[in-house]
Amino acid sequence: MYKVMIIDDERAIRNLLKITIQNQELDLEIAGEASSGIEAINTIDSIKPDIVFVDIRMPFMDGIEFSKLAIQRYPKLKIIILTAYDDFEYARSCIGIGVSAYLLKPISRTEIRETLLKVIEQHKVEKRDEDEDNIEEDNCSIAKIKEYIMKNYMEPDINLTSIAQHFCFNTCYLSRMFKQKTGMGLSDFLMKCRMERAIIYARKGTRMYLTAKEVGIPDPNYFSKCFKKYTGKLYSEYAKQDANRAENES
Amino acid sequence: MGKHLIRDFKRWFSSQLLKQKVRYLFLAIIAMYLILFVLISFFSLKENMMSYTLNNNQKTMISIGNNLKNEISTINSMSQLLMTNRDIITYLQSENFPRSLSSHRATTAMYDITNSFDHITSVYLYRLNKEYVHIAKGITWVYMEVLEDEEWLREINDKNGGYVIRIDGGGAYRSKSGEPLISFIRLVNDLDTQKPMGLLVINLSVSLLKDSYKDMESSDKQFYYFDKDFQHINTGHELPALEQFKPTYAPYHQVTVGAFGKEQVLSFYQIPDTPFILAGIEKMSYIRFIPSETIWIIVSLVALTLFSLVLIGIFITVYITNPIERLVQSMDKSKTGWLKRVSLPLPDDEIGHLKNSYNNMLIEINKLINELIEKEKKTQQAELNALQEQIKPHFLYNTLDTIAYLALQESSEKVYDAIETLGNFYRRFLSKGSSEIPLLEEIHIVKDYLKLQKLRYDDIFDDEYLLEEDILSIKIPKLILQPLVENSLYHGVRPKGERCVIRISARRMENWIYISVYDNGVGMSQEKLSTIMMDNNRSFGFKGTIERIQCYYGREDVYKVVSEEGLYTEVTLKIPL
Repeated sequence: MYKVMIIDDERAIRNLLKITIQNQELDLEIAGEASSGIEAINTIDSIKPDIVFVDIRMPFMDGIEFSKLAIQRYPKLKIIILTAYDDFEYARSCIGIGVSAYLLKPISRTEIRETLLKVIEQHKVEKRDEDEDNIEEDNCSIAKIKEYIMKNYMEPDINLTSIAQHFCFNTCYLSRMFKQKTGMGLSDFLMKCRMERAIIYARKGTRMYLTAKEVGIPDPNYFSKCFKKYTGKLYSEYAKQDANRAENES
Repeated sequence: MGKHLIRDFKRWFSSQLLKQKVRYLFLAIIAMYLILFVLISFFSLKENMMSYTLNNNQKTMISIGNNLKNEISTINSMSQLLMTNRDIITYLQSENFPRSLSSHRATTAMYDITNSFDHITSVYLYRLNKEYVHIAKGITWVYMEVLEDEEWLREINDKNGGYVIRIDGGGAYRSKSGEPLISFIRLVNDLDTQKPMGLLVINLSVSLLKDSYKDMESSDKQFYYFDKDFQHINTGHELPALEQFKPTYAPYHQVTVGAFGKEQVLSFYQIPDTPFILAGIEKMSYIRFIPSETIWIIVSLVALTLFSLVLIGIFITVYITNPIERLVQSMDKSKTGWLKRVSLPLPDDEIGHLKNSYNNMLIEINKLINELIEKEKKTQQAELNALQEQIKPHFLYNTLDTIAYLALQESSEKVYDAIETLGNFYRRFLSKGSSEIPLLEEIHIVKDYLKLQKLRYDDIFDDEYLLEEDILSIKIPKLILQPLVENSLYHGVRPKGERCVIRISARRMENWIYISVYDNGVGMSQEKLSTIMMDNNRSFGFKGTIERIQCYYGREDVYKVVSEEGLYTEVTLKIPL
């Protein structure tokens, strides 16, 4: 069973792809989706996909940028680029950076099937000569990692894997170790840092899309989702409430 | 005919090269100058010369006449000496013999007296009884019967002691040599009684006549004597074979004969108190009448003038026509292709300035051509962009996928609605390829476009329309609003992550229509605002659209962008009615 993740800024296309892939009755599971590259970077560590469909044209972080990061961090990940005809030249350059395949829109079921079969075959070949990574013991303290996160949370492209790579940890090991020592997942800690900061901005009345950029989630849609999940309130409500409070206080 | 010729000449002259014109002009001037000079000098010279010659001639003739008269009066004096000589009177008066003595004495006296005079050939002294004595040099025949003729004597008697001059004594004498004799004849009167006592005839040789003009004669000038009857008296010259050479009775008479340059002046003078007519032939000689200094002055003036003309000609050639010719040749090169600047070493005068001005002009022209080419390229690019806008495959394919999803998951009503909208959109979008459509159609395109975009991106915006009804039928270039709306969606609304408004408004103010696209998206900073019309911002599609409108209306001020970062963006198109 391979995990598939779909990254596209259009909900309809994500859904269409989901339905299409499921209808193929291959050994695949739709593990998750993201509406932007930014969202994908933040959720990919928990979804842990084997195959990613990514639209080439997305705001904030486009398919190419995402692919570059993903290939570097997840060498086993198979990336399938989705593109409309007029981006063909652009798409061709993706092959050069290690993308597995590209698919032309409008989506054709046969093409999807063929591509998926090809990618699954590749996965099977690679898995055979794969060895389990050894977990290295490391004296590096959790404090150091926390400090690094608090210093760099505004970088939009950091996530669990990039931090693990930075400190030369195995990703699973770091995740497990961090949760053991702090009682909190590393991704959750990163999100907490960002949201705490966002609350400060919200209180100042900063516009949402600017705050989103400042705290390292430049996709305001995804930011707004995260904010609501963290605080239980909409950013606009928070900002308004805060403005009212400021008015009352004065 | 004459007008025709003048017009043809004018046309021919103006068609000549400048160089040729100058040459012809100079030739004409030189020719005119020479002709004028020759004519003026010749005619004035001739006039002067003529009058001078004629005057001079008359004087000469009169002077010759006077010489002759002097000679004759000398002879007269001599005759008086003879008549008053005692021995001669004695010879004439002696009635009886012996006359031999008295005749001998008279002859001696004649010899003595005539000895000191020139020209005397013979002297005859007749008594009334026809006896006579004579002296002679050479042989002279006497025809006595003529002497007795009444006719012959009448005039002499009438003169009553005055002299009569006759050629060959009126036929009474003839020299053996055949030379004509000039006979001086008079009666000898008694001093007391005044009665004739004898006849004196003095025969003179033609040297008398010759001597009268001896000093005046030259190779150009000859003189002849005629008697009363216009008979030529041979003095050694042959008479010239000239028809006009006929004396008249006029006291003085002059004729000019002969062709130009060979003129001869014929003059006739009736010498008073003599039976002679003096005739003169004079050849005209110009050089004789012009002093050599004058000739030198004239020649040097002509030479100086010609030299000046040549000098001016060379100057004009070297400094004006040649540079112009070179300039023209150099300019001609530009006929063959691209306008090249002239680089010639030309003097820094008007012609040099001409070259500089020409070069400057070329720079301007080349610049204009470049601008034109640039503009043409822009127009073509704009048209190409418009074409590409029409295709919009990315939009089409994504929309098709969206509809595909609807078909799988939503009601067929919704699918139908979406397909209808897409159909409407593309029908208007392509609109038979015409380049302008009514504003209302453009608004419909925008409405359909936004409706389809809402399907793709969920309801992240609301669209509003504020339109003045009466301008909806006005035609505008096709697809000038849709790209602006697309920009609003992708660069204003979507980056904001909040629900926004896209508002399209169209209103009329005076002679303008203002169409604006407003969105309360992320807006633009001043820096970004200043870069939207730059070349490197192709993805915006904004620049291409604005340039298309600018080309279409041929003016620059067709748009205005107002924006505040984080708040809104408003693009207003200003379209002339």
